[in-house]
Amino acid sequence: MKPDDRELDDEIRGHLALEIKERIDRGEDPEAARLAALREFGYLPAVRESMRQVWYSRWIDALHDQVSDVRYALRSLARNPLFALTVVGVLTVGIALNAAVFTMLKSMALTPIAGVDGSARLVVIFGETGGGRPVRLSYTDYLHLRDNDRAFASLFGSAPARAHVGRGRGARPIWTELVTGNYFDALDVRAQLGRALRPSDEAAQASEPVVVIGDRLWRQDLGADPHVVGKPIVINNTLLTVVGVAEPAFHGTTVVYDVEAFIPVTAAPRLGFTFGTQQTTAAGILGDSLATVFYPQGYLRPGTSMATARAQAQALWAPLAAERTTPQDVQRLRVVPFWQTPGGAPSYILPTLTVLSSMGLLVLLIACANVAGLVLVRGISRRGEIAVRLALGASRTRIVRLLLVENLVLAVPGIVLGTLAARAGLPVLVEYAQWLAAPERLFFNVELDGLVIGFAVLIACGSAIVSGFVPALRSSRVDLVTTINEDASPRGASRGRLRSALVVAQVAVSLLLLVGAGLTTRSVEAARRADTGFDPTGVVSIAIDVRQNGYDEARGRAFHRMLLDQMRADVALDSVTLAAHAPLQMQDTRVYRIEIDGYAPRHDEDLAFMANMVGTDYFRTLRIPMRAGRAFDDRDDADGASVAIVNETFATRYLGGPNMAVDRRLRLGTGEWRTIVGVAADLKYARINESPRPYFYLPLQQAYQPGVVVHARVHSDIPGDVNAAAALERAVEHARARIAALDADLPVLYARTMADQIRGAFIFLDLAATMLFIFGVTGMVLAGLGTYGLVSYAVQQSTHEIGIRIALGASSRSVVVRFLLRGLALGLTGAALGLAAAVGVSGLLRAVLFGVSTTDAGAFSTALAIVLTGVAVATLVPAWRAARTSPLQALRQQ
Amino acid sequence: MAKTPDDQRLELLQGTLDMLILRTLQWGPRHGHGIGQAIRQQSDDLLKVETGSLYPALHRLEKRGWLKAEWGVSEANQRAKYYRLTAAGKAQLSRERDRWSQLVHAIGRIMNPAPGED
Repeated sequence: MKPDDRELDDEIRGHLALEIKERIDRGEDPEAARLAALREFGYLPAVRESMRQVWYSRWIDALHDQVSDVRYALRSLARNPLFALTVVGVLTVGIALNAAVFTMLKSMALTPIAGVDGSARLVVIFGETGGGRPVRLSYTDYLHLRDNDRAFASLFGSAPARAHVGRGRGARPIWTELVTGNYFDALDVRAQLGRALRPSDEAAQASEPVVVIGDRLWRQDLGADPHVVGKPIVINNTLLTVVGVAEPAFHGTTVVYDVEAFIPVTAAPRLGFTFGTQQTTAAGILGDSLATVFYPQGYLRPGTSMATARAQAQALWAPLAAERTTPQDVQRLRVVPFWQTPGGAPSYILPTLTVLSSMGLLVLLIACANVAGLVLVRGISRRGEIAVRLALGASRTRIVRLLLVENLVLAVPGIVLGTLAARAGLPVLVEYAQWLAAPERLFFNVELDGLVIGFAVLIACGSAIVSGFVPALRSSRVDLVTTINEDASPRGASRGRLRSALVVAQVAVSLLLLVGAGLTTRSVEAARRADTGFDPTGVVSIAIDVRQNGYDEARGRAFHRMLLDQMRADVALDSVTLAAHAPLQMQDTRVYRIEIDGYAPRHDEDLAFMANMVGTDYFRTLRIPMRAGRAFDDRDDADGASVAIVNETFATRYLGGPNMAVDRRLRLGTGEWRTIVGVAADLKYARINESPRPYFYLPLQQAYQPGVVVHARVHSDIPGDVNAAAALERAVEHARARIAALDADLPVLYARTMADQIRGAFIFLDLAATMLFIFGVTGMVLAGLGTYGLVSYAVQQSTHEIGIRIALGASSRSVVVRFLLRGLALGLTGAALGLAAAVGVSGLLRAVLFGVSTTDAGAFSTALAIVLTGVAVATLVPAWRAARTSPLQALRQQ
Repeated sequence: MAKTPDDQRLELLQGTLDMLILRTLQWGPRHGHGIGQAIRQQSDDLLKVETGSLYPALHRLEKRGWLKAEWGVSEANQRAKYYRLTAAGKAQLSRERDRWSQLVHAIGRIMNPAPGED
């Protein structure tokens, strides 16, 4: 039975009573007996403690010590709330930024597919052409791999595809995935209602096609109907039977996109999806080895290495490669980890997140230096207290431990607040991204979990210890005599050195952050100013797909014709045109393999380019200049001669320049030859940061597309910005009304200004730059405060010296200059180190920069100017204040 | 009672206190004070146990299960803790007694060698 403290006391009291009684019995005076008994007993608390220690092991005692340390720390922090609040604030900022970035990095690196644990381990197979262009594999190739493969546990395929759910005006565009029957099994994703897809769904081509819908579609469009299983749903004007609703956490395997329906790939032709080639009929595409469908992927079998999987894929490919002789065909297979999926979001988001993480750690470093500075200054002002403790026999270890515990105590609110801030901030960031992307639905798999909290705890404790340890060591090394007498100069040389080092470090790191922020800000500016090759101002875009109301080609053409005629009659509109694709939609459109008359491709050259099918007036409406020849006009209709227009890069690269290009010929695959009638200037076709690439145009009349974008340019002679915006709004509404008048059941997929429409192209740069900017500014503010604190403390400590100087006849100006020079010397040292580091590492930013060199002089000099100004202000203000105090007062103040 | 001056008292040998306590309790339960007195009296005042050693030792022995403690009322009409030897304690006492005799014998042979061994 472990005795408690009361029992120990009772036992001691019992002993004393007996001893006293015995002494009194022997004839001693009661008071003398009491004192003698106490004296003989020894130091009572010590005896009691050694009795206790028999029962309580050392670590419990150690814990007891810690608790008392924590209690002491809390008390002493409460006496100095400003210090405590500042440290907590600084740590919170550092932790929040890092937790936020870590959450994104973690999601992208560990669980890129929401709802699928360990999805980072997925391995993807893609084909590569002779020219090194990644291509999807055909369904027949997939079957060949799936049936013969031994490296993968289960090889599945999934192709993201845009579709429309619902009919008529109520239809809504969604993302779907066309998947193989083993998709859900391989990913281990279950249905929350009904069943997931299974291999038999892939085989059953004859019966009615089935679909598994996502949680969002089920809740938003079907009102979370519990009896949805077995009911029909209309996707792309085709009836599909819902067999299940996927788990709520699952949003498909297309990272960042919110996939809302999963359809067996074999049903794709019926829903009007086509793949790759134009020659094959819709029904035949699944048997066509040239129709590229998806990238097969799956988990490797346990114990199988990537190398084995690669070797196996090559072996399986060998017999197929023999039949594929042209450079445009898949020449070899590549096997890569999931994040390297060609065109996948992780392949460009991960490098950015890496940059963000490093910047986050830099901010944390500054926060640490900041806290270290605060702890140091506080340690100096607590020398008295520490000296007394040392004099009373506290060991240095004990004092250092006490000071560290104080820092750890401060880390706890830092963790809580930082994590909460990250949790509150991430949704804001996600919403911002979703707003930028609207009406496209994005899904970001960012979730704060135990791992993130663990990370926050780790960095918080790490920074508390790092920032507390050196100052604590310093503070514990106090010269007892001088300190207690309090007459020595407080500026120990070593302490001054540490302080200077902290200033230099903060300046260096904040310069690094500012350079990063500057580069990305300039990069976004450059992107905004970038010549997209067309003029979106004053243009509205309205998208429709006549298949949505079941139009065949003849009715579709007629509808397009009528719509164009009506809009062209509108006096408010300057010009109106149609196009198959709008530019800058962040996604490469399909590429067409072509042949160029008179150009012999190298043996491994792969002539496959993106193209657009456009109506007359396209180049005029978007103000794309023609470099040679003519634009499309009324001659280029279905009955006219087959023609094409190429872009400048195309003409220069393959035809000897724009002027040589006109009247040359090209053809799609093995189709009919088309005469090139004009050369248009280059555009940014998919992304703002793409390099110039060959591109060509066909007349829409000669290459019918059911889904088109109507671009209409509003007359530019409307004065004033406000009116222009109103005119655009009116144009959008008129267009909607016109389409409704022509066919009330035809949905308008979107109708907005072109400026809004291409906003998505800037999302990524915008987001990355916003975050880097936040990091840069936060770091700079922290570093500014820290430097100010340290410098002003140093100046304050020198008040005595200043007094002497002024008493000896120095002007206050010379004193200020002296301090300013001292401060600037530190600032310049830090800046030099920071610049060197920035030049060294700014190459890492290349992935997120556009149109700016990684050693952009503007960004570097701005950062330098800001940092040096900060140091100068941080020095001047306290020095000026010190210089104005009268010498007598300054001398007395010690 | 003749009191031995403090400078004539003997230091307890390291490790013998436990044995003395166990031995003292062989005649029945006692409280801590009583144990201290018994050791002093039986050693003719040559051994005096410091309370600072006695009480931790009692608790150590109790924790090992060699003693069992019960609360009672002492001669001074105060609550007091009475210690009693357990069966394990008795076994331990005999072990310690054996070890002690071996030790005394061994040390004796070194200090007072039998003639002819030098």
